[in-house]
Amino acid sequence: MATALIDGQQVDFESGETILEAAEKVQIKIPTLCHAEDLSIYGGCRICVVEIEGERLLKPACATKISEGMKIKTHSPKVREVRRNIFELIVASHDISCRLNCLTCSRNQSCELREIAADIGANQTRFDPIDKGYDDDRSSVSIVREPNKCITCGRCIRKCEEVQGVGIFTMANRGPATVLTTFGDKGMGNVECTNCGQCIHACPTGALHEVYHYDRVWDMLKDEDKFVVVQTAPAVRVALAELFESKPGTIVTGQMVAGLKRLGFDRVFDTNFAADLTIMEEGTELIGRIEDGGPFPMFTSCSPGWIKYIEHFYPEYLENLSSCKSPQQMFGAVAKSYYAQQHGIDKEDMVVVSVMPCTAKKFESGRGEMDQDVDFVLTTRELGRMVKEAGIDLVNLAEEDYDPMMGESTGAGSIFGSSGGVMEAALRTAYELITEEELEELDFEPVRGAEGIKEAEVEIKGMTVKTAVASGLSNVGQLLEKIKNGEEYHFVEMMACPGGCIGGGGQPIPTNQETVEERMKAIYEIDAGKKKRKSHQNKEVQQLYEDYLGAPNSHLAHELLHTNYIKREI
Amino acid sequence: MLNFLKKDPILAIEDYDFTAFKQVLNTPAENIISDIKTADLKGRGGAGFPAGVKWELARKEKSAEKYVVCNADEGEPGTFKDRYLLENSPWQVLEGILISAYVIGAEKGYIYIRGEYVKPIKIFNKIIEKAEKKGLLGENILGSEFDFELELIRGAGAYICGDETSLLNSIEGQRPRSRIKPPYPIQSGLYGKPTLVNNVETLAAAVEIINQGVETYTALGTAESNGTKLISLSGEVNEPGVYEIEFGSLTIREIVEQLGKGIRNNGQLKFVVPGGVSTSILPQEKLDIPYSYEDIKAAGSNTGSGAMIVVSEENDLIDLMLNVAEFFMSETCGTCFPCREGIRQVCYLLENAKERGYLTQRDFELITDLSQTTYLAARCGLGQSSLNFVTSVLEHYRDELLQGGGQ
Ligand SMILES: Cc1cc2nc3c(=O)[nH]c(=O)nc-3n(C[C@H](O)[C@H](O)[C@H](O)COP(=O)(O)O)c2cc1C
Ligand code: SF4
Ligand code: SF4
Ligand code: SF4
Ligand code: SF4
Ligand code: FES
Repeated sequence: MATALIDGQQVDFESGETILEAAEKVQIKIPTLCHAEDLSIYGGCRICVVEIEGERLLKPACATKISEGMKIKTHSPKVREVRRNIFELIVASHDISCRLNCLTCSRNQSCELREIAADIGANQTRFDPIDKGYDDDRSSVSIVREPNKCITCGRCIRKCEEVQGVGIFTMANRGPATVLTTFGDKGMGNVECTNCGQCIHACPTGALHEVYHYDRVWDMLKDEDKFVVVQTAPAVRVALAELFESKPGTIVTGQMVAGLKRLGFDRVFDTNFAADLTIMEEGTELIGRIEDGGPFPMFTSCSPGWIKYIEHFYPEYLENLSSCKSPQQMFGAVAKSYYAQQHGIDKEDMVVVSVMPCTAKKFESGRGEMDQDVDFVLTTRELGRMVKEAGIDLVNLAEEDYDPMMGESTGAGSIFGSSGGVMEAALRTAYELITEEELEELDFEPVRGAEGIKEAEVEIKGMTVKTAVASGLSNVGQLLEKIKNGEEYHFVEMMACPGGCIGGGGQPIPTNQETVEERMKAIYEIDAGKKKRKSHQNKEVQQLYEDYLGAPNSHLAHELLHTNYIKREI
Repeated sequence: MLNFLKKDPILAIEDYDFTAFKQVLNTPAENIISDIKTADLKGRGGAGFPAGVKWELARKEKSAEKYVVCNADEGEPGTFKDRYLLENSPWQVLEGILISAYVIGAEKGYIYIRGEYVKPIKIFNKIIEKAEKKGLLGENILGSEFDFELELIRGAGAYICGDETSLLNSIEGQRPRSRIKPPYPIQSGLYGKPTLVNNVETLAAAVEIINQGVETYTALGTAESNGTKLISLSGEVNEPGVYEIEFGSLTIREIVEQLGKGIRNNGQLKFVVPGGVSTSILPQEKLDIPYSYEDIKAAGSNTGSGAMIVVSEENDLIDLMLNVAEFFMSETCGTCFPCREGIRQVCYLLENAKERGYLTQRDFELITDLSQTTYLAARCGLGQSSLNFVTSVLEHYRDELLQGGGQ
């Protein structure tokens, strides 16, 4: 342990620690902008500069290692003045005008520039704003890029490249013309973007946000002729409350249902129901493959970011993907057939809305293979906006239940929201279907938790089933490389977002390791609290098979609940 | 006149005998390093870091692979002395590269030549080709154990590429922008391996030190500036060009008058930029100082790359500042905010001032704030030094600028 002085406070540190990290230990907050914990160091914004005794120039706290005996001033008058000047420069380059102002910005609740303004006591902007005049990039069906709000901090570049292993962004030009763009300036919709939305979480400003569907959902809700049903993904209920000043991991399932009813949805259903249905289909498919001897490994198919990733980068493995649609799409298909028929609703008049933690679900719902079964996809954040706009005090609402027929779910369906959850849910069911014995220990601990890659072996009827779980696309890529190099698994769960859907690109901001872990705890809490924790115990799912589909993987089930994939260019 | 560096051109290999390099092959590397250290050869690329110390550090690095890079990007306006060396003494430059590589234990090197330097590139391509044929590059050079390969890289055409860390990125095929230091290239440079970057002139001077002997070399110059230096003299003088001078032998005014033969069209001298547009100006009253690292520093500026630009009373100061600021604005790599945005705002303020014909108190205040911030907080040397020129003009000609123009 070595020591140094930060603002007169003695601080002990390990070698390799940065000034930023050391300062935090003595309760000193140094503002940062281009820095993010999960990304490599960039040293671009310089808002974190500090004074080191004996040094002529200021040094960036995020990029400078602290060393023995250093005397550091983090908030000296010189430092504060420089920070304010840099801030003014950022604001001037940020094109704040009536057209773009903070009030209507996607980040009006969560802008890091505003946080910095408060942290440094900014009280003037002396420079004329620069009109950069870039066009918005609206080429993607999931994500909008507003380059005029971009401060070129490069966080999205690093997130997409380092955490997601995709790398569609680049910094082009030099000097003041420096601009963040997609390769070849093709637009996010025309490159290998997986629509995962992780770049939105990386961005400190409103330069990246989802393509909004909520205004069109308002229109549907207004339209008397439409029968509007909504489904809510497992990860939404453990995150939505964060938009209403509650702690991460607060569970608001019943309040959310009540809120959706107040918004005017005709039926409020649960994607968890469809998750249980997915397990019936996918579990049956897995059992089939085990009987037929492959093809292995079988990959899960519920994360549309992962699907687009494999279609671009590993098309040689497309036949390993489960043919099951994702729960969102299974829900849509069943709602527009089974539910519509049973209630005499014309399919054309039914509007299916989903609330998802995910931006890629917007892309998925529009895939040609999906038949427009889901009409609109709201992110968790968009639902938050609607609830606020309707003046609903969501967290204090009395809890209500999902509507029957497609509202019941088991613990297995609930854990779909977390990395490892699909695997665990599938194993619970596959075990019992294969062995015809009751599974005693339901918790598959090795596939739980926040690590990027997890592996587990399960004994089922004398057979060792080898499984692996990866979340975050660079982990997914690593696991695929391992498989390419000969590693053998039977069943592999892949999710595009770190931590699974709870860390999805449509979740409240901030979504970081801490919030993801809290949401994960909540997900397993929901599972533990359920009486039924295995998908095949879901009564409404059983009913659906009895009344309509026949058996899992039946002809009709195939028609409605399964899909196919395409090879895409890189 | 001295001619260590400024010589008649030698382009045929037969006319060049590599005496220094041959001597080096038969001398322990430590002795060579100690000579260069004693000679106190300061880096001629602009930063002035002692070459001997750098060589020593590079030699001490433990690594199976090391690189040497000769920085011939010469991107600063008004600098053309490296071009002179590449065109007239390419063998001496090659010899310097060989020596530095041998001394630090590198087997691979690059010479990174400014893209616009078509002729030097042609010449050096031939030099490499001939040297390979004659056994001066390749395996067992001149029958020794020393293997060395040299590759010419054509510069990517941006001033920032001259910064050593950006240059390394550029060689690696990445976007040319600076790297965060530490680690310094000596520890982790090209492809993460220890890399010695030296300016063309530094390497040529090292050859001279070995050829002339340390004593002869150190006998020249002043207390802190040994030997000679090439100056690229430009601006409004009658005879611009490359001159070699012994440090301390002439004052700046004498350089302008004796070497440059005075101001063009009988004009009046206003100020001199002693080390290129990234350095502060020296006004009239500060020109009677000897040309040396220490005297120029004491006068508030920097020797920089040796690009001496002479400016007469004929010029509009706002125009000049705007030109220099615009140069840096278009050349920032765009990575860090103070440099990219700070220079841009200075340009706007100066554009408005140009229209108006004078600067306001507020312009002074804002530009001063921005200069200070950019100097203190920019990520690399380009940003840190970008507003030296503007700030120093403001400082010295305040009244003139406030009153209404520098006519
Ligand atoms: C923006 C910028 C441009 C530079 N351009 C050059 C150049 O063109 N040539 C050069 O030798 N050094 C240049 N340098 C200095 C190099 O970074 C480095 O210090 C030098 O090549 C080291 O060689 P030396 O020690 O022999 O001078 C530049 C530095 C900066 C910050
Ligand atoms: S990113 Fe922040 S500062 Fe910019 S418009 Fe949005 S809320 Fe305002
Ligand atoms: S959505 Fe995902 S894949 Fe697309 S740019 Fe953002 S981080 Fe990269
Ligand atoms: S889009 Fe956002 S994250 Fe990306 S560079 Fe711009 S401001 Fe930074
Ligand atoms: S100081 Fe200028 S050139 Fe250097 S990193 Fe910053 S923006 Fe790039
Ligand atoms: S946070 Fe340190 S330079 Fe941006």
